[in-house]
Amino acid sequence: MKTVTAGLRAKLELLAPAMTAATTALWLPDDPELSRRYVAYLYEMHALIRASVPLMERAARRCARLAPSDPAAGPLGRYLERHIDEERGHDAWLLEDMAAAGGDPVYAARRLPSPIVADMAGAQYYWIEHHHPVALLGYIRVLEGNAPASWLADRLAVRTGLPGAAFRTVREHAALDSGHLADLDETLDALPPAPAHSTLLAVSALRTAAGLIGLFSQLATTQGGPE
Amino acid sequence: MTDDHAVLERLRAAGFSIDALSDEQLDVLTGLSAHELHVLEDVKRRLDDVEPEVRAHGDFAGGALF
Repeated sequence: MKTVTAGLRAKLELLAPAMTAATTALWLPDDPELSRRYVAYLYEMHALIRASVPLMERAARRCARLAPSDPAAGPLGRYLERHIDEERGHDAWLLEDMAAAGGDPVYAARRLPSPIVADMAGAQYYWIEHHHPVALLGYIRVLEGNAPASWLADRLAVRTGLPGAAFRTVREHAALDSGHLADLDETLDALPPAPAHSTLLAVSALRTAAGLIGLFSQLATTQGGPE
Repeated sequence: MTDDHAVLERLRAAGFSIDALSDEQLDVLTGLSAHELHVLEDVKRRLDDVEPEVRAHGDFAGGALF
């Protein structure tokens, strides 16, 4: 029998070439703008990641309300409670990286992020509140499934000349997210079978992948630093 | 979707390279819901509009954060 995660992977595989092309363009090695683009990347990732814990908290609250009549809500809520603790404070890491890279953490809090960030996180708020919180696992699956490679932080440090302290979040997520992904896949495959949930998961994951490809492509073609 | 071939034809027509996929992957794709198929077609259309100048090569570098 096919697992939920095997089905999800097969669907996401269709967008894998575009994802690889977008990350290749983002980290193009012979570009003199790479250090500025890295700072721009930190601004957008901060805008995205600061929604992670609030989204999970909202989804966990919705699970608690659904639990009496929804067999998926209990295990989903328990996964989210665990993961909230694992992800808390990572937005602060990004602000520290930003300062080390020459960015402005105060500006990060007041700047208007790319509308793509609002599209990506905003869709999750809608699905959690008005459909089913299982949608959030499709979002998490794509973001943690496309985490930085283990070698990326060191390579960027060499290519940009920025201090090692500017790469903590990239470095830590490269190490942490493979473990997180295993926990997530285990949770997904243990949820009670529900075709409607599988469709929502896939739609959420595909939309997230498309947003990420769009965001990386946008960053690859714009100059970095505060606007 | 009820017609397996129609789903694969729509994916092919949208520009997805599905001929190299495994039987297991194709089996998943033939079961795509109308919503999933619509999202994939929409995504592909938008990606084609902003065709990345740089083609994928080498190891996957990643960069997404949650």
